[in-house]
Amino acid sequence: MSRRGPDPRLSRRGFGLGIGLSFGAGILGHGSWARSAPPADPSPSPAAPGRRPGEGVTALVGGRLHVGDGKVIEGATVVLRGEAFTSVGGPELRARLAPATTIVDVTGKELTPGLIAADSHLGIVEIDLEPSTRDDSGGDHPVRAAYDAAEALQPGSSLIQVQAIEGITSAAIAPSGGLLTGQVAWIDLVHGDRKAMRVRQGVAVRGNLGQVIAGSRAATLAKLREVLADARLYARSRAAHERRQLRDLAAHPRDLEALGPLLAGKVPLTVRADRESDIVAALDLAAAERIKVVILGGAEAWRVAGRLAERNVPVILQPTHNLPGSFDTLGARLDAAAILRKAGAPVGLAVLGEAHNLRNLRQECGIAVANGMAWEEALTAATLAIARAYGQDRDFGSVAPGKTANLVVWDGDPFELSSAAVQVYIRGEAIPMVSRQTLLRERYRDLSKFRGSR
Amino acid sequence: MLGSNPPPSPPARRRRGVALGLASGLALVSASGLALALACAPKKSATRAPATKSPATKSADAAGEPRSGATATKAAATAPILLRGATVMTATGSILEGADLLIEGSTIKAIGVGVAAPAGAEVVDARGKFVTPGIIDTHSHMGVYPAPGLTAHADGNEMVGPNTAYARAADGYWPQDPQIERARAGGVTTAQILPGSANLFGGRSLTVKLYPWARSAEDARFQGAPEGLKMACGENPKRIYGQKAGPATRMGNVHGYRDAFQKAVEYKRSWKKYEKSKAEFDKGKKKGVALKGDDGKAKEEPDPPARDFALETLGLVLDGKLLVHNHCYRADEMLLMLDLARTYGFKIRSFHHAVEAYKIADRLAEAGTAASVWADWWGFKAEAFDGIRENAAMLSAAGAKPIIHSDSAEGIQRLNQEAAKALAAGRRMGLQIADDEALRWITAYPAWALGVDDRTGTLEVGKLADVVVWDGPPFSVYTHAERVYIDGALVHQRGAVEPRTDFELGYRDGDLAGDAKGVTP
Repeated sequence: MSRRGPDPRLSRRGFGLGIGLSFGAGILGHGSWARSAPPADPSPSPAAPGRRPGEGVTALVGGRLHVGDGKVIEGATVVLRGEAFTSVGGPELRARLAPATTIVDVTGKELTPGLIAADSHLGIVEIDLEPSTRDDSGGDHPVRAAYDAAEALQPGSSLIQVQAIEGITSAAIAPSGGLLTGQVAWIDLVHGDRKAMRVRQGVAVRGNLGQVIAGSRAATLAKLREVLADARLYARSRAAHERRQLRDLAAHPRDLEALGPLLAGKVPLTVRADRESDIVAALDLAAAERIKVVILGGAEAWRVAGRLAERNVPVILQPTHNLPGSFDTLGARLDAAAILRKAGAPVGLAVLGEAHNLRNLRQECGIAVANGMAWEEALTAATLAIARAYGQDRDFGSVAPGKTANLVVWDGDPFELSSAAVQVYIRGEAIPMVSRQTLLRERYRDLSKFRGSR
Repeated sequence: MLGSNPPPSPPARRRRGVALGLASGLALVSASGLALALACAPKKSATRAPATKSPATKSADAAGEPRSGATATKAAATAPILLRGATVMTATGSILEGADLLIEGSTIKAIGVGVAAPAGAEVVDARGKFVTPGIIDTHSHMGVYPAPGLTAHADGNEMVGPNTAYARAADGYWPQDPQIERARAGGVTTAQILPGSANLFGGRSLTVKLYPWARSAEDARFQGAPEGLKMACGENPKRIYGQKAGPATRMGNVHGYRDAFQKAVEYKRSWKKYEKSKAEFDKGKKKGVALKGDDGKAKEEPDPPARDFALETLGLVLDGKLLVHNHCYRADEMLLMLDLARTYGFKIRSFHHAVEAYKIADRLAEAGTAASVWADWWGFKAEAFDGIRENAAMLSAAGAKPIIHSDSAEGIQRLNQEAAKALAAGRRMGLQIADDEALRWITAYPAWALGVDDRTGTLEVGKLADVVVWDGPPFSVYTHAERVYIDGALVHQRGAVEPRTDFELGYRDGDLAGDAKGVTP
């Protein structure tokens, strides 16, 4: 079957229609609790001729806002205009709203920033076991730092909306395999429209430690240092290289070039490392090479929590990964996130290396809380801490004026299994709360319509 | 057992016991040195039957028979345990507030409000806690795909051919798998250990109880539980064998099933024929009359057919003695398998994974076949692409038997949470699903699927005391299993009784620093 274009029902532009059809009894449609403030002042605003003050502005009022940075605001007022939050405050702010503001009453609801999926394969993997649907790997060479999976991004992926309607609003898209795997992209989960996803390419370089090269972790580290040294060499000897007056390089010049922002300290190396010795090696490498690192996985990171805190190196881990699944993860434990936070290390939580169930990030948060992490810290770990790790916290990760208006309205404790997102806002727009899965559900809700003999 | 009239089943047979030379009589399996867990562990006894005459059962290596026949579990002389004042969720339709549950020996003695504590009983203050049956997983590879996942440990997929019905999970099970203790800490008391899904016929399953004292598969075996047969549909067999001798397509898969079951029918027939002529021969011998053949010569004692362990396994399926557990994702394929089962006259006890079960919930209810599903795994392969969160709930609504299974040593640690997610999704689509029904997804229904529902899976007087005390509502993400009892023995108490497998000794902080804490037991 040929791929269809974006389903209009899934398009953000079709929102008004989609929700109007009210998929899924029990899911609270946006329209049922949105209303406009009475047009008290019909005179046009001097600042925006032809527009009334507050027009195109939405304010969510009355909910409990978990800002993402640890703060909580009861009876919050969150104002969205265009793609950004314009002001955030308590009940006092509500009185100051411009008359034409669309008021959405979210009393009794919990508000959080949109959750952020770290190190995911969203949009570059559709079906894991079907190579024809995967673009996460840039080839067999261990050094493919220039590989940019964002170029393969599929905005029409059905996986995007499955995550989005459950509260994931941004994701870091990372390629997989090798030593230096490629470039990491940052997207917003807007289905069907690459432009609207605001893809940011090259926000990090992805790598792997452990037995990547020649079946030896020592060889792996040696190779990594060699590549970084050659990247520096190439950067200052490009002309010599063009004249063929440079010795052989450890990788292709394009891959060495792609490490420039990493070597300049502008973007981090997000690197998979589980065993304590690999994590220590990553810390040493970061110090020696003066680069930023972010530890992914970090099964045994808690053993060096103090050092991670001292160097302010984030660890992005998945709490449910508590098994001694290999000799690299013998120290894995459920309370690793709590131990790391207690020591003061930055912690992010994630469903790692995944594409289909990034939505279970909130369950991972709940499990981290059940095992000792403070609730607001767990939320930070799924929002602001991820944005910080990828250098995106100026625009993402918390509900603050000027930041991208990615926001989730929950009908209860966002980490609790009985709760659900009732409305998700991405870049200021209420998205249609519909996915390929809700469509399947509705198709099979009533089986009596299917004929067939036995 | 290979004919239409199986020989009477002896009370119990234990393969290992015979191998050890304990041919008959009683043997007490004493527990190993797990002092804390053992403090209240019942001693298990197993009656061994003498060899029978039936060809399939006389062998010491009795690959032919399921271990049917309940073995009495004798209670050790331990104090009764009274769980006092809890919310008791029985999985029988009732949830009792402020109720008590009394454990005596290995069984549940009483449930209700104001149960009197017998003399010497240990009274556990369970006010504010929730008590449920022990969780049961129909789909686990613990022990056959243990942690760490070393090549040396991969004993779950006999990938030498598409039909390895002769293989037995019990023969690959490593009771020292550290995953087992973590599952137990998650409230799991019983699990079916399955061979993998590479093959059309993967082999026989083993249903275990998560005893910390098991030193062998037989120690862990749920006494009296029937074995299962693992079958697999769809992508896996054709992926594994497509570039080899096949099957390469779903057509080849189904041919593989038909061919094997047809051969099993014929194998059974040959044994029936043998048994008949043997009976005639014996009868004649007894009377002193030598039977004569067509050539007028005296008939010799007939030789039994060559024994084939794979066909024997399939024969037991046809006799309804092995329960079929069928890895199958797609709705159309499940219906195909139900047709095949009807053709050969057997039942499929449960489909596994069954991500499209919601599309045929009515047919599954009609067929009386359970569906073991995940709460939300989907999309990792094409046949899993149509998974939805509401699968289990839609099955419940149609009157089918949904089961939340794990197929994962991580997932098995929180099947209560997985059920909670599936429950929430069902309620959001407007289905009325009671908490008790969702609890049955991880207790009563899996017990039924494993053929042990007469002994476990609900909280009822007389059933085995497989019980979990939760420190909060079991469907909350914040809740922990605080105490876990198996056969009345306390096998896990959060922060206090956390038995560890041999493998992990020496790998945790403090182990080698002379800090005994956590090392014993």
